[in-house]
Amino acid sequence: MSKTNAVARGSHVGRIWVIARHAFTQLVRMKVFYFLAVFAVIAIASNFFDLPQHEGPESLGVNVLHSIKSWSLGTMTLFSVVLSIVATALLLPKDVEDRTLYTILAKPVPRIDYLAGKLLGVLLLVFVSLALMDALMTAVLQIRTTVVLGQQLGMAQAQGWPADTVESLRRDTLLNGPTWSLQGAVFAVFLRASIMASLALLISTFSTSTLFTAIISFMVYFIGHFQADARAVYLHAGHSGESLAGRMGALLFSLVLPDFQNFNVIDAVIEGQTMPLMVLGKLTLVGLYYAVFFTAASWLVFAEKEF
Amino acid sequence: MVLKMCLPMAETIPAVEIVNLVKDFKTSFKAQLLRAVDGVSIRIMPGEVYGLIGPNGSGKSTTMKALLGLVAPTAGTCAIFGKDSLKVDSRNDVGFLPENPYFYKHLSGAETLRFYGKLCGLKGRDLEDRVGELLALVDLEGARDRRIGGYSKGMLQRIGLAQALVQEPRLVILDEPTAGVDPVGSRQIRDLILKLREQGITVFLCSHLLEQVQEVCDHVGIIFKGKMVKAGRLEDLIAIEDQTEIILKDADAELVAQIMALVRRSPGASLVRTGKPRTTLERLFLRETTNREDGV
Repeated sequence: MSKTNAVARGSHVGRIWVIARHAFTQLVRMKVFYFLAVFAVIAIASNFFDLPQHEGPESLGVNVLHSIKSWSLGTMTLFSVVLSIVATALLLPKDVEDRTLYTILAKPVPRIDYLAGKLLGVLLLVFVSLALMDALMTAVLQIRTTVVLGQQLGMAQAQGWPADTVESLRRDTLLNGPTWSLQGAVFAVFLRASIMASLALLISTFSTSTLFTAIISFMVYFIGHFQADARAVYLHAGHSGESLAGRMGALLFSLVLPDFQNFNVIDAVIEGQTMPLMVLGKLTLVGLYYAVFFTAASWLVFAEKEF
Repeated sequence: MVLKMCLPMAETIPAVEIVNLVKDFKTSFKAQLLRAVDGVSIRIMPGEVYGLIGPNGSGKSTTMKALLGLVAPTAGTCAIFGKDSLKVDSRNDVGFLPENPYFYKHLSGAETLRFYGKLCGLKGRDLEDRVGELLALVDLEGARDRRIGGYSKGMLQRIGLAQALVQEPRLVILDEPTAGVDPVGSRQIRDLILKLREQGITVFLCSHLLEQVQEVCDHVGIIFKGKMVKAGRLEDLIAIEDQTEIILKDADAELVAQIMALVRRSPGASLVRTGKPRTTLERLFLRETTNREDGV
């Protein structure tokens, strides 16, 4: 008995990982990966959304590369946000309802370990899903970029373009293919989903139902897309924005509610622009800030909760 | 019993010590509070089997939840082996089976025990050995790889008891362990509780099945409307002090007549009742439904 009790305490990291792996398995066995089949269909179908063009070789086939990226990243966003909100909103109330939470908290498991484990499990699932979707998108994009490049170079040579212009065309086209910026955009999608998962976790600690958590989370998600505009309008209209209280209120608002306009860089990547490392670093810090803030707030509520 | 006598001095610390526990709950849309537990005190020494009995809504489960830190006391204190129940480390020494437990349906019996074992820091060979040992103890080796979703009520209770024991706790808390279980399953759980008692593990259970409590517990407390109305050693509480019971086997009518005549001659003594002791309906049911040689 003493031997077992000596190791029974375990470590925070160990317990969080056990709960995270379990939450991941639980969600996988709910067959959420079936969505990947839908994604595969969308990624392949986006190959055929090629609008007819009558310009020169420089824009030949580029639209279809944009289409693949746009549809794929759009689907990834939809899937990751829906999954992170619904899965997080589901896990906590289900454990309370089934009384499995009693048996877990009756073990030497601090409540923060339980919360962090559940959140990490959801994030693990979102990460693996995005990685699989990313691999599929990159593969489709690579194949199509090779085809487009071949067509463009063929037409450019037929029209007798100079070598340096052809090289410039090749570089521009490759920027629309699978790039590190595109991988950065996928990571940004993951960061946005992480913020939403931690927010859903916070709401589910005081919510009475999964539906309520999901609705409020989606509302915050939509508000997050125009909160920066709303703040700007408020601060620059009338006298309220000039007062210290008004400015502090606006600052507090932005500290509590995430500004998803920061993630508009994903659209720029779809258009073939490069995502600077600094921007990705800033997004990572923003994501970390909100994830830690919401998780800490969840813990404050959950630590006092009675079952 | 021998185990209890050999317990070291450290084991004189009560396994459970609840002192003047009060728990109020807010009622919805009303300012008034509902007092679920009102000044309850319980002390359970190591190795005892304590039964808390009372009608539905009397405060049994709330008392247990307060002991496990699932609810915070409004007043009073709860401790497990001297450690405050609100502290996580108090739960190193306790296993809990809630009423009507539902475990993760997507896990098998063995996976469920592995999950709870890992939460307690067990791993590797130790964990696998413990899982096998517990499945054997609760007679679920045949269902170790079957999903919990397909378990019967009795099997759920037994796997629940196994998870409560995974880290070899010194105290096991069981909330209505036989609720909704058929007599055969109920008997298996009772036998398991008796095994725990033999191993010197302290058991704190609540139930409203009085016959079962009487069979396994050595101490009981009766709780009613949140207050402890009676508590003590079971034998002391149920003994009728001014009566004596003699049960004879193969006694002929003449011997019985002689005894009755002797009683009549004794001043102050009177015969209350004679007759044949009866088995219980439960024992009859068990005899007729288990281990039948004809295999019906």
